[in-house]
Parts: sequence; structure tokens; C-alpha cells
Amino acid sequence: MLALVGVLLRNGTGALGQALFFDSVPPLAAITGQVPVWDGIWPACVGTLSLLALTMLLALGPGIGCGIYLASYASPRIKALLGFAIDLLAGVPSIVMGLFGFTLLLTLRHSAAPNAGPCLLLASCCLALLVLPVLVSTTRGALEALPRQLHLSGAALGLCRWKTMRHILLPAAARGILSGVLLAAGRAAEDTAVIMLTGAVANAGLPAGLTARFEALPFTIFYRSSQYRDALDLQQGFATTLVLLALSLALLAAATRLQRALDQRWQGIRTNRPTQHADRHA
Amino acid sequence: MSVRESRIASLVLGASAIIVALAVLAVFAFLFKFALPVFTGGQGACILSGVWNPFKGQFGILPMLAASLCISLSALLIGWPLALGLCCCMHGFTPRPLGRFLSILLRGMTAFPTVVYGFAAIFLLVPVMREALGHGSGLNWATAALILSLVTLPTMTLVMDAGMHQTERRLRLTGAALGLNRQQVFSHLVLPACRSDLLAAAALGFARALGDTLIPLMLAGNAPQWPTAASDSIRTLTAHIGLVLATDSSSATYGSLFVAGCLLLLANMCVQLMLRTHLRTRGAA
Amino acid sequence: MVQKFRTLLLTCLALTLTASLAWGAPLDAFTGKQGTIDIAGGTAHIPVMKEAAKRIMTANPEIRISIAGGGSGVGVQQVGEGLVQIGNTGRALSEAEVAKYGLVSFPFAIDGVAIVINPANGVDALTAEQVKGIYAGKITNWKQIGGADRAISLYTRDEASGTREVFFKKLLAKGDIATSANVVPSNGAMKTAVAQDPGAVGYVGIGYIDATVKAPSMDGMIPSQENAANGSYTVTRKLYMNTKGEPSALVRTFIDYLLTPEGAEIIRASGYIPLAQ
Repeated sequence: MLALVGVLLRNGTGALGQALFFDSVPPLAAITGQVPVWDGIWPACVGTLSLLALTMLLALGPGIGCGIYLASYASPRIKALLGFAIDLLAGVPSIVMGLFGFTLLLTLRHSAAPNAGPCLLLASCCLALLVLPVLVSTTRGALEALPRQLHLSGAALGLCRWKTMRHILLPAAARGILSGVLLAAGRAAEDTAVIMLTGAVANAGLPAGLTARFEALPFTIFYRSSQYRDALDLQQGFATTLVLLALSLALLAAATRLQRALDQRWQGIRTNRPTQHADRHA
Repeated sequence: MSVRESRIASLVLGASAIIVALAVLAVFAFLFKFALPVFTGGQGACILSGVWNPFKGQFGILPMLAASLCISLSALLIGWPLALGLCCCMHGFTPRPLGRFLSILLRGMTAFPTVVYGFAAIFLLVPVMREALGHGSGLNWATAALILSLVTLPTMTLVMDAGMHQTERRLRLTGAALGLNRQQVFSHLVLPACRSDLLAAAALGFARALGDTLIPLMLAGNAPQWPTAASDSIRTLTAHIGLVLATDSSSATYGSLFVAGCLLLLANMCVQLMLRTHLRTRGAA
Repeated sequence: MVQKFRTLLLTCLALTLTASLAWGAPLDAFTGKQGTIDIAGGTAHIPVMKEAAKRIMTANPEIRISIAGGGSGVGVQQVGEGLVQIGNTGRALSEAEVAKYGLVSFPFAIDGVAIVINPANGVDALTAEQVKGIYAGKITNWKQIGGADRAISLYTRDEASGTREVFFKKLLAKGDIATSANVVPSNGAMKTAVAQDPGAVGYVGIGYIDATVKAPSMDGMIPSQENAANGSYTVTRKLYMNTKGEPSALVRTFIDYLLTPEGAEIIRASGYIPLAQ
């Protein structure tokens, strides 16, 4: 691992700098999108971030909702069936998910929306499907791993199922759910195979909307490593790798901090005065 | 008021479950729908044969299936024991700071994009493998399997670790009552107790390795031949999809892509079913 | 003396003027136009498309141009399905493709395809027969054709590649390619592989050749873009832009732009030979 990072650093740092991001365009103009950036990776950074945001927007609700449903609402039969379906979805390789997006697009074009094309929205829908199982199973796992007493204490306080969930179980499971969200975000940020088939292109400028094609960092890396023409291109490829890595690690670090904060808050309460906490909320 | 709120809540939750279920169904339906014409069009037998040579009208993708299975199994064989070992390290077999460092490192590794591994391995591992094996190009089964095991390692370790953490907490008192130290508790009580977690980790690692596209595409060499030795250049189903997606959409080459997708789904379903039956029979016994 | 200086000055002025006219004029065709052009297909085309798009979009920000790779097959398919307006191919369209989608082709450049080997390899010349033997798996060691004692590792391109098609038709004469040959997905990946592997043999578009790989002569022909242009190197292909039916006004302007002297300059800078109309 260390060797890997070392080599990346050695080969990439040379190209890190303003030119990597913005080419020869002044940064401010580039960031605000007044001047298109051609050979820099700034559009790809923005593309990846908007892709990530949109994907999480689409996946969070159904993912966590379904996790909660499976953990405490579903009948055993539905639990088994839906659980199996989600495990299957979890096993769908990302390129197959991309293929699904592609076939979906072709079908759409032949029926409902003849003008649809590969775009940001399609790519994030497919990515959302890809990360959905992660969200569902971590949410479910986190809720099911909670001690039985917590479920009972809600009932003992005369709370209905939803209130117990909302005020006791969810806060207690927040740490687990958060790590699931983090895992999902990480996968969405790094996946290349899905977006390769559903809308990422080599050159599009800043993303122009939900129905436009876009650039993304992982795709840029793949593209540069396979299409470079000279040493500078390759060096920029290494540097792009570093940027993506930094983005992923920043995500991780932020989540870890948040997790620790939650942990401290909850651990103090759980070990000392669980009922008081429930009281306060009720 | 509160009754209404909870009604809404269960509706919303139910709806999200339905959305997820529908999504799963849609994925499967679409792929099978696109794969079906291949079989009804009479190309099925041709695609499920053993030789891939599109210029002579041979479109067999079975070598790719074999390659996919071989690569992911060998990645599992390398990665799973390593993951188990790392887990042991984190549970009291090494000094605490090292354990903490490992856990941080592993969590950092989950954030490592796959494409980064591929990119770096081309320049690092491939030349080493070429010299080590003495022949071939360095793009082969062994290289891809090694990197894949590295890719799946953190996921497997973290799943194992999560399971062990719970079990260890539960069994700590039992162990103390028996007068065992932490290592003994771990190896005699915790490990046997969390066999299902170890299995689940293996299944997850296998699925990740089977489904990965970029590593085999960049490192396995992609030659459409049956895998016979670790130095063979082989092509996995996922890499095959990536490679032939760009071909003429009316040819059997293109049709083979959807069959490949379906085969991947089926392989995965088998793994899940096996895991489930195993757990059920163990649970019953 | 002064006279001479003045003539020089005037000539300079005239030259700059014509140059700037030549520079300014082709882009003028885009003034007042707006819309999007999506381009996909052959990877060899990307540098040309990118540079042209850069100039056009700088002159007229109302026009958006997106460029995707994917390979010649993707180009045909996406333009045929109407997903993009221009689908690039590194080969002529097959009759089936033209019939199925009603595509119109616009050739704009010539590119050569050359065998490449590792720079450390002592072999400097190959014949077509030798190449056939190597790719069929009959010649397996460099010493059989006058090189060092080292096993040959074969590299070829994926089924959808236009480069592979030219190589397969013109150099191998549709001969066998051993199934044990490594398959790489792009020109760049080919170069990386060959540059690192001392026993490698592969092939790339001439525009991609640089110091990291060596191109031996082929049947006595030196692979270079000049030779490809003047016909003394024969393993060449044309690069095409394809549209579904007759192109729209904006797309037409884009295609015409690449055929102007400024377009030719872009094409030359990307390492290809512009095709005079």
C-alpha cells in the first residue's frame, strides 16, 4: 500500500498545480464557468461532485427507508424475500449496472422519450441503484444490532412503533447508518464502469444540467491512462489520481469525525441514563 | 396527530421498500429481455461454446466464464486468509497501537478508487510479475488476482471485524469466567461463534472480485483463452463486456455482451443461494 | 536599404493579414449560431475534435460541443441511434451499417498504422510474412527473426477497434491472430504495454508513436505520416466523421471547418495527414 501511494506521489506531484485544474484559464473565471476549461480537470471535479450529490439524493431516501422497513416493519416472509433481492442487487457487477442503464436508455428512446441521451440523471440513477444495497443492509444491520432493551424501553414508555424508531432506535443506530452512507458515497465517487456507459465523456465542460453529458474524475483517469499521447499527459493522469484519492480520503475523514462526535454523545447517554434520554425526547 | 405521523411513516417506509424491490426487478427484467433475442435468434448455442474468434464466426464466451471464476476464486484464496489474519491482529494478537493503525489503514483503503489500483499496478506490479514468471507479458491471471485480492481485502476484513466485535463483546464475560485471556477467548470462543460472518465476508469478497471490471481489463491481458496457468493472459466476463460494447450492434459479438451480463448475475445468484442454504442448514442444526 | 526594409515590412504585414484572415475566416461561419454538437466514437479522432471544439467554443460560447471516445463501433451505433450528431470511425462503414442507419460519411484525415516494439529490441526491420508468422503464433522467439533470445509477447486491440481492423486487413491479410495474444483496449494502453515489455510486439496509429516505443520498417517501408501521405507507406486508413442522413446546418459547419486550412492545421498538429477535399 505504502509503495503504491509512494509511486503515485512521486509521479504525480510534478503535475499538481493550477495548470492541472484549469489549464491556462484564470482560476476565478474557470470556477464560475465563464471560460470553458479544456485540458484541466476542474470540470471533471465538478462533474464528480454533482454526480455524487445527485446519486446520494436519489439513494438516501429509499435506501435508509427500506433498511428501516426491513429491520422493524416487514413480516418475516417479506423480510426473507426482499432481503434476498437486495443481496442479489448488491452482487450486480457495476458494468452490468451500466449495461442496464444503457438498455434502459435504448428502451426509453424507442418508447417514451425519443430524445433521451446518456446524461447526468441517468448515470446517477444507475449509480444510486448500485449503492442502494449498501445503504439498505447497513441501516438494517445497525438497527438489528441494537440491544433488545432499547426496543422494549420504547414500548415501556408507551411510545408507538414509529416514535420508538424516531427517538430511540435511529439515534442509537446513527453511527452504523452513517458508515453505510459513507461506504455508499465512496463507491459512487470511484465507480467508473457505470458512468462509462451512461454519460461520462472525455470533454464536456462544466455539467450543464441533468440532461447533459459530463466529465468525471474516475473516467478521466481511465481515459488518460489509456489514451495519453506524451509524458505530460501521463503525469497529469497520476496527478488526477492523487486528486481523486484526496477527495475520497477527505470524505472518509469527515465521516469519521462526525461518527466520533455522534459516538461520544450517544455513548455517554447510553451507559448512564438511557431512560432520561428517552424521556427528554418524548 | 401522532397516529397520523406514524401512519405516514409506515407508508413512506413501505413505499421505499417497494421502490427498491421494483428497481431490483427492473434490472433483471431488462437484462434478460435483451439477452433473450440472442437465444431465440439461434445464436445461443454459438455463444455458449468454448471458442471465441469473431472473425471466423465463433462467439463462445465460456472461456471468459471460466476466467471470471478462476480469477475471483484465486483472489478469494489469497485475500480471505489475509483478511482473517488482519482481523486477528486487530483483536489482540498484536500490540494495540498496531491494531489501531491497521484499522485506520483498512478504512482508508475502502476509499481507494479501483482505477487507482489498476493505474499504479501497470507501472509497479506488471514488470515485477513479468520478470518473476520469466515469460509472458506480466498481464495475466496472477497479477489481476493479486490486485483483486488487495481490492477486496478491506471490505472482507471490515465485515469480519464488525461481526467479531459484536461476538467478542457478548462472549467476553463467558471467557473471563473460564479464566481465558483475550487471545484464548478469541481463538476458542469468538472465531467458532462467528463462522457465518466469515462466510458472509467470503461471499462479499467473491462478489466484488467477480464484478470488478477495471482491474481485469487493465491487468489480466484479455486474451480469450481457457485459463491453464497463472501466467496465462485471460479475459473475464466483465472485461469482455467492456471490450465488445463498442462493436456493431447487429452482430453476435454484441449479443454475447448481454449473455455475459446474465451469466454474471446467475453466478452471483448461485453464491447467494449457497450462502443462504448453508446458513439455514447450520441454523437448523 | 530603406526600400528593401519597406518591402520586407509590407510583405510581413500582408502575410500577417492573410494569416489572420485565414485564421479568422473559418470560425466566422459559426457566428450567430447556437446549439449542441455531441461527438462520440473513434479514439484516434479525439485530439482533433477537442482542439476544434476548443477553438469554436472560445469564439462562440453559445455552442456546446461534447466529445466522447468509445471506439469506432460506438461511433456507428450512437450516431445511428441518434444519441450523438457525429459518430467517428477509423474505418469505412460496412454496407450493413450504412443500410441499417442511413449514415453519411465524411473522410477528413489519413492515419497510418505501424508495428511497434520495445526500444530495447534490436530488431529494426520486419516483413509482412514475419508479422503474419508472429501473430499466428508460429514465430515465438525474437531470435528466430534475428533478435535477442527472448519470447515474443503479442499485443492486439479489441474487436471494436478501427486500428485493429486496418491492421488485420492490410498487414495480416486477414490471417490468424493467436488466442493467447493480449488484448488492450486503446492506443495508449498499447503504448504503455509495449514500452514496458522488452519482448512485446503491438501496433498503434502512427500519430501515437513517440520515444517510448520503436517502429521497425515494414517490408522496407518506413512508417511515418509523410510516407503515409505520399503513398510510400501503405498500411493506412482514413478517419471519418459520420452523420445520420444529411447533417444539420450546425453540424455541417463543424464538418466544413475541419476541411478548411485551419482545420488541416489542427489535424496536422494532432499527428495525422489532412485530406484535401
